[in-house]
Amino acid sequence: MHHKIHNWTIYSLGDHAIVFALTPKMHISVLQKLKQLHQLIESKKINGILDVIPSYHTLTIIYDITLFLSPTQNVNDQLQLFSTQLLSEYENNALTINKNEETIHQVPVCYENIFALDMENISKTNQISCQAIIQLHTSKQYDVYSIGFLPGFTYMGSVDEKIKIARHPKPRNEVAAGSVGIAGLQTGIYPTNSPGGWQIIGKTPWKIFDPDPNKLAKFKVGDQVQFYAIGKEEFDSLNEHI
Amino acid sequence: MSIKILHKGLADSIQDIGRYGFQHLGIQPNGCMDLLSASLANSILQNDIHTPVIELHFPSSQIQFLEDGIICITGANFVPVLNEKSIALYKPILVKKNDVLSMLQPLEGSIAYVGIKAVYDSPKWLNSHSFNTAKLKTEDVLPFSMHPSNPIAMKTLNENLNHALIEQVHNNIFSNTNPIRILPGPAWQDVNENALYELINTPFTISAQRNRMGYPLTGPKLNLNIPNAYLSSAVTRGTLQLLPSGDLIVLMADHQTIGGYANLGQIILVDLPRFAQMKTGISFKFSVANLENAQTLFRTMYATF
Repeated sequence: MHHKIHNWTIYSLGDHAIVFALTPKMHISVLQKLKQLHQLIESKKINGILDVIPSYHTLTIIYDITLFLSPTQNVNDQLQLFSTQLLSEYENNALTINKNEETIHQVPVCYENIFALDMENISKTNQISCQAIIQLHTSKQYDVYSIGFLPGFTYMGSVDEKIKIARHPKPRNEVAAGSVGIAGLQTGIYPTNSPGGWQIIGKTPWKIFDPDPNKLAKFKVGDQVQFYAIGKEEFDSLNEHI
Repeated sequence: MSIKILHKGLADSIQDIGRYGFQHLGIQPNGCMDLLSASLANSILQNDIHTPVIELHFPSSQIQFLEDGIICITGANFVPVLNEKSIALYKPILVKKNDVLSMLQPLEGSIAYVGIKAVYDSPKWLNSHSFNTAKLKTEDVLPFSMHPSNPIAMKTLNENLNHALIEQVHNNIFSNTNPIRILPGPAWQDVNENALYELINTPFTISAQRNRMGYPLTGPKLNLNIPNAYLSSAVTRGTLQLLPSGDLIVLMADHQTIGGYANLGQIILVDLPRFAQMKTGISFKFSVANLENAQTLFRTMYATF
């Protein structure tokens, strides 16, 4: 199945998933629509939906074949009907779901040398002072476009063009949990110690992923993040990575 | 009381059907690589379908039973022996306190399952006993509370064996050389026609670097008409990712929730157990399925349990 409704392209992913896609770009207008459609689907508590995964310009529904669809009707017809009805409900309710609560996180980051492994590199490559990098990185609110790679890994955008930098061609074997990095126009936070190629400019004392079922990921797609700079002493007093 | 790992294997773990509902937070589904063989072990033991099993790769862990009980081995034939005496697959097997289960040789398939007639007394994490990183280690003690293993229990299980089903599942996974069926993915239109031809007509093999996250394939290099840099979107178990090198990798049970490489297609659910069990270096081909048929096949398979 592959069809278009308004700005949406809807297609099947394998035999147990369906994707709602918008124009492939990292943009707040795209993210807002995904977030609204996600909320609508969640609110409907549809039987047989296992996962709803937003990421940049796509919203993917993973479903249980036996619960989500009827064996007696054509699969494509059912999926087409489902998506048409869902998007028409979305259009009709767009005004009300538009007023979704905004979650803004003020996130402390220590940009000091011991954590900012690639600050010098970005400074040299982009011909910009470390102070200016910190100033630019903390000067705007970022939108969370995706969570993945690792449980809780947060992809945000967009950083100022002046601090845009490519990933390391060869990833580090280990990047510490809480590390804040830049990759292209994106900024991200490592939830756990892991290999990684992002250019690291600091570290947050916050644990952004906690396996405690009542906590899990600190951020979700569609949230906003504002970083602010803290010194090493304040980092130590706030440090949750213990 | 329970089961002890005497010697750890290469990559063995406790698995169940995995977890859904948390992928939007980047939390992987995990679960058995070959759900069909694992479910069959539980079915033979008349366990609840959610009962965790021990997933063995080769070289496998050596396992000691710390109490009497009943087990059932399904999936790959690694030539299982109990205290050095050969035992059958796909049958309930009586084990005694201190018996040792070893696997001698990877004769057929890649992943064996040890089902246990027991309750697993360990807390779940987010509705599942499957963990992404938890490989079994030497000296681990697994808290299975064994179901009483009396002759009557064995007799009941043996009388209820569905031989036709067992043979059907086994043959479907291990004696089936048909192509692995895929449904085209979003990047299908971005590969050139020659690459599509090669994807369907050239044999591939699974490379030795395989693990629970993914199976890298060896085969022709496939090229894209556009740069291989997509905005990341959700992937599933069975996704064929085309890497910038031109090589394919098939994402498996411990896959990341999103991916930014070209998504060429996904293996249909019914063919995943067979694919998971394929041995390294064995040639196979892909073919293109249709959605309607893939779902019908899945329903038929699902209805047998």
